Amino acid sequence: MSGGGEGEKRMRAGQGGWDRPAEREKRGASIPDPASTPVPAALRERIESAMALYPDARSAAIPALHAAQEVHGWCSPEAIAQVACVMAVTPAYLDSLATFYDMLETAPAGRHSVYVCTNISCSLRGADELLAAVEEAAAADPDVRVRSFECLGACDIAPMASVDGVYVGPLTPQDVPELLADLRAGRAIMPERQLARRLVADQRANSREFPPPPPQGEGAPTSAERDGAHASEERQP
Amino acid sequence: MSQQLLLQDIDEPGLHTLAVYERRGGYEALRKALAMTRQEVLSELEASGLRGRGGAGFQMGKKVSFLPHGAIERYLVCNADESEPGTFKDRELVQKTPHMLIEGIVIAAYAAEASRAFIYIRGEYVLQADVLDSAVAEAHAAGYLGEDILGSGHSLSLVVHRGAGAYICGEETGLLDSLEGKRGNPRLKPPFPANQGLYQGPTLINNVETLATVPAIMRMGGAEYAKLGVETSTGTKVVSVSGHVQRPGNYEIELGIPSREIIYGLAGGPPEGRAIKCWFPGGSSAPVLTAEDLDVPYDFDSLAHAGSMLGSGAIIVVDDSTPILDVAMKVAKFYRHESCGKCTPCREGTNWTVTMLERIDRGEATPMDLDIITSVCDHIIGNCLCVLGDAMAMPIASMVAKFRPELEAHMQAAHERALPPAAAPAGGGGGFA
Amino acid sequence: MPRPAHELITLTIDGREVQAPENSMLVDAAKLGDVEIPVFCYEPKLGNPVGACRMCLVEIEGIGKLQTGCSTPVKDGMVVHTQTERVKEAQRSVVEFLLINHPLDCPVCDKGGECPLQDISFGWGSGLSRFVEPKRHFVKPLELSPLIAIDRERCILCYRCVRFSQEISEDYQLVLLDRGADSYVSTFDGHPYEAPFSGNIIELCPVGALTSQDYRFRARPWEVENAGSVCTLCPAQCNVTLTVRDERVLRVLAREHPEVDDGWLCDAGRFAYPPHPPAAEINGGQALTLGARVAAPLVRDGGTLRPVSWARALQEAAAGLARAGARSGAVAGGAASNEEGYLLTRLMRDALGSPHLDSRATGALPLELMRALCDPRLQARVSDLEFAHAVLLLDIEPVRDAPILDLRLRKGERRHGVKLIRSAGADPAQLRAAARELSAAGKEVVVLWSERFAAGPEGEARARALLELAEELSFGETDGAGLLEIPAWANGRGLREAGVLPSAGPGLTPPPAGGLDARGIADALVRRELSALYLLRCDPLDPKDPLAAGAPAANGAEAVSPAQASEAWTRALDHASTVVAHASHLTAGVLEHASVVFPAESYAQKEGTVTHPDGRLQRVRQAVAHPALVRPEWLLIAELCSRLGLELELHSAEAVSRALFDAVPFYAGMSLEEIGGRGVRWQERPQAAAFGRAEELPG
Repeated sequence: MSGGGEGEKRMRAGQGGWDRPAEREKRGASIPDPASTPVPAALRERIESAMALYPDARSAAIPALHAAQEVHGWCSPEAIAQVACVMAVTPAYLDSLATFYDMLETAPAGRHSVYVCTNISCSLRGADELLAAVEEAAAADPDVRVRSFECLGACDIAPMASVDGVYVGPLTPQDVPELLADLRAGRAIMPERQLARRLVADQRANSREFPPPPPQGEGAPTSAERDGAHASEERQP
Repeated sequence: MSQQLLLQDIDEPGLHTLAVYERRGGYEALRKALAMTRQEVLSELEASGLRGRGGAGFQMGKKVSFLPHGAIERYLVCNADESEPGTFKDRELVQKTPHMLIEGIVIAAYAAEASRAFIYIRGEYVLQADVLDSAVAEAHAAGYLGEDILGSGHSLSLVVHRGAGAYICGEETGLLDSLEGKRGNPRLKPPFPANQGLYQGPTLINNVETLATVPAIMRMGGAEYAKLGVETSTGTKVVSVSGHVQRPGNYEIELGIPSREIIYGLAGGPPEGRAIKCWFPGGSSAPVLTAEDLDVPYDFDSLAHAGSMLGSGAIIVVDDSTPILDVAMKVAKFYRHESCGKCTPCREGTNWTVTMLERIDRGEATPMDLDIITSVCDHIIGNCLCVLGDAMAMPIASMVAKFRPELEAHMQAAHERALPPAAAPAGGGGGFA
Repeated sequence: MPRPAHELITLTIDGREVQAPENSMLVDAAKLGDVEIPVFCYEPKLGNPVGACRMCLVEIEGIGKLQTGCSTPVKDGMVVHTQTERVKEAQRSVVEFLLINHPLDCPVCDKGGECPLQDISFGWGSGLSRFVEPKRHFVKPLELSPLIAIDRERCILCYRCVRFSQEISEDYQLVLLDRGADSYVSTFDGHPYEAPFSGNIIELCPVGALTSQDYRFRARPWEVENAGSVCTLCPAQCNVTLTVRDERVLRVLAREHPEVDDGWLCDAGRFAYPPHPPAAEINGGQALTLGARVAAPLVRDGGTLRPVSWARALQEAAAGLARAGARSGAVAGGAASNEEGYLLTRLMRDALGSPHLDSRATGALPLELMRALCDPRLQARVSDLEFAHAVLLLDIEPVRDAPILDLRLRKGERRHGVKLIRSAGADPAQLRAAARELSAAGKEVVVLWSERFAAGPEGEARARALLELAEELSFGETDGAGLLEIPAWANGRGLREAGVLPSAGPGLTPPPAGGLDARGIADALVRRELSALYLLRCDPLDPKDPLAAGAPAANGAEAVSPAQASEAWTRALDHASTVVAHASHLTAGVLEHASVVFPAESYAQKEGTVTHPDGRLQRVRQAVAHPALVRPEWLLIAELCSRLGLELELHSAEAVSRALFDAVPFYAGMSLEEIGGRGVRWQERPQAAAFGRAEELPG
């Protein structure tokens, strides 16, 4: 059994991190000066609106880093400096967060991410073989970042992966070409295997009859519905 | 037919929208609660005997009653950082019936006199967080959130906060630090969150399922709810069953039914021709039980009595095709990865345990190493800042205790594979560090 | 804000009854009963305990789990066990865990011999490890900053350094990166840890992970002597311990004094001892023992300063001063001691008959104003900054003017909710607005103001407004409220109280004759009304000297720019026929204009007293011998007095101190023993009554 997330961690910590001295040509990193730290207007707007949601604006640090990661592809020093500038905190403060949380990338990452869950329930059903297959198939593709991930909370579709945030499963190594093809083509990823379409396993659930659908106009579709949630009626074994 | 409270409409098309939820009687419980005094609502919660569904199993009503009164800002935080391996019940609820959760939050906030609430949802749950965002917006537009809810004078703001991938943020004080924009390091307790939680204010923290159950309690009345389940574990519980079973998934059960009924009756048991080697009754943090324990009633106290725990209500079944060492390594590596690093026994102990298990797998260990593992686990349990260290030490210690012969055989076999027959055995003994 | 009152309670630790303040932490309470509970992460100076290292686990009756002694407040009747097998096993296990990846390279580690990890491993560890896997290795040591080296192998992740950066100095540059067993202390993206107080993390580190680049491999704890003294590089006068080996100061450590420094040092104070370009560059610190110090007496000869014998230097100085006689002027500043200041008053007033001497860089204030501002009833203590309801900052930048007070203000604000108010300006209307804001915050109010505030043409009016504010807010009747002035020079208060003022003799008493202040002396030199100048540890042409700062603009008056001040002083020095200077370095004015230069002692060589801005007399103790050609400065002034016909009969530093105590009425009866290692605030002695009440201020 390969270690869930272990290689991941090493890469993030990077021997380089432990072994990295202060650089002589740099000075102490205090809160970035807005005059010398340009921040894209849209990013600034997102960070500032996140800050407004909380009694203490620092609560917006993680949402702000997420937003910066979307813009820059990863939490690069530049991305961190921009967030630090808008939030008026030191970049070190944000770096300590970026390196703490698994979803924040601290090295350049591809445009797409594939998290393969390799925790216990998935690995009991073949996740390690799945991970190996995905890694092999995507090895030459700098656009796809494959990561072994801890339990993603979808053991009912084990083994599974989160592909750009979309949960798909159960998957076998044989499914990998189709999965990557969908990803590269920008299509919905294996729609029939998406968690969004799965019904609850408990046969005794849905104990109340469903009433007839609402008349036209009632219950406008939400974003989740548009994304295909509840689109299927297939009950899985 | 078991009572279904949480899953009764779960797959109804459009249930995640306000319109469908309301047609199903949604937010009636809130109207009922707002017509009562806060104390009356609290009494119903206390009467229900509802115990927290996140892992610790603390009585929810009691937790609410611990919040100090007075003119201070109180917070309610919903823990949707469902990260315990094997657990996926909150995901199902949030995704499919978000308004049930929101309704529960508004009622609980009313009882707790909280005017600001946050849902901390793990960042990996992208779809579910989007669903919640939409539902919160709908509830706000309909007057179930915001100022002066339904003319009651009670106000509540609700913000959906997405995490970024750290198991420790499921620990309530780690979650609070994370929500405050820090590393998710657990805090010393006391002070408990009820006194000094989010932004130093009194804070009620509950799991998704706990809060989602609140509307049902308000509809039925606490006393009626308490008739479900068994005396010290009332009500129904959504159990996530995964691993080596034929029908993995979520099942809503009345607490106190035999575990066998869940694993075999509902989830279909292990694949044909396989037998259960062990099972985790409450997520990977729970000490493992074996096939002999299948008749233990599935409730908080019975499982504790059997030497394990109900935890988050996640059953992971391992059949006889998997070596126990593989299970142990998976579990130990997970906790090493997720240890926040703040306190010594957890940070160092999880790491050490992994290296010892790896050495067993490489054939470089002796049976004495199993004693050391047990001792290291002993030194972690109860000595850490939070329970993450215990969460590794307890299942690992249980595996060493219950499967020692298998581990010794594994060790021996690996040893023979690794070394030519005449070579000297590798030492596992003491020495100066 | 009321300071926490502590009622004594009784608890039982290991079978013995211990009296301790209620709610103090168990590890502290245990010490009162001579029980040591080992700790790594616990450091009360850093604020609330974090309970991270788990070293202090103890058994408390009635509680199932072992508890961390660092975070358990003691209650009456508590029964604690620190010696049970259960506790010992837990402690042994924590040591074992901590040593898993610690390299145990004590023989080559700077911390060896003064290392808590060593001590605790020895005292509470089992002496054995069952960890047989390879330890991890990293490149070491690495530079964390030009001042500090980091060894990440040795780090036990106790959080002290990052808590200091985040919660004490609040620079938030030092953080933990990554998670779990992979966590490590670092800065952002390879930036150095550069902050005004960074060196404190070296002292905080309980292992050899953070070491001083300068002190690295310079000495072992058993090879050094530790000498307590007071840093006189700025008015904060932090208490220090000097690490001395072979008559050299190798290191400066904090000597915690809650009423002075709270146990911290600024980097200038900590790193200014050897010739360290980065430290000097970063902090503007002065070298203490080495560097381009003046190391011998110098006399100007053919336009150039040349080393001469002491006899010649003293003779030249005495002759020059004798020629000028009453037409001499003197300015004292820098780290000049109370004793030196007192002797200077004798030299000027009694030997030369000149009333022209000053120790205020910013111009004179009328004596009655000086006295009113110095009234013992109106003086705030340093710790009042921490517990006040509000602190008003007037024309002061603490991190520059008295760095350690910056930490105290941050502490008060963060931990006790002290409201910090910076007045928008200094005119009476603005002060009245500030007063309203202050009184809204509460009764206990401290005004922290700099000497500059009362400088310039409006200085007098501002000083009066300040006194009105004090009156309005009833400082005289409110414990914990008051004024705290930060003088321009390190011992500004002491020099004034010793009588180095044109308007006052020792003890702020009216002088026999009024004289000229510093600026007046400069003008008089130009007008040839004066012809000699005595510069005791100051140089008006040194840009870092407060004399060179000029004067601020005020309503209806022109500012004196630094360039104008420098020009005025240059002309004055050009006109002076004799300039005698005590100098550590050949700064511009000394280099160009001094006739005689006496080498100044570093504070590590000096014996004497200084007076803290809050009135605390503190002893500066000699830690290292004088270099061959450096002599005690008090002795030089006494010798000059003698050569000018004034026999003082003072033959030891202590005798001068006694003479000073006798001369200043409110120092009466003081002794060096009484001052001791912790200092004495004269306002708290009965003799403070001799100060008398401040005279009614003339309209």
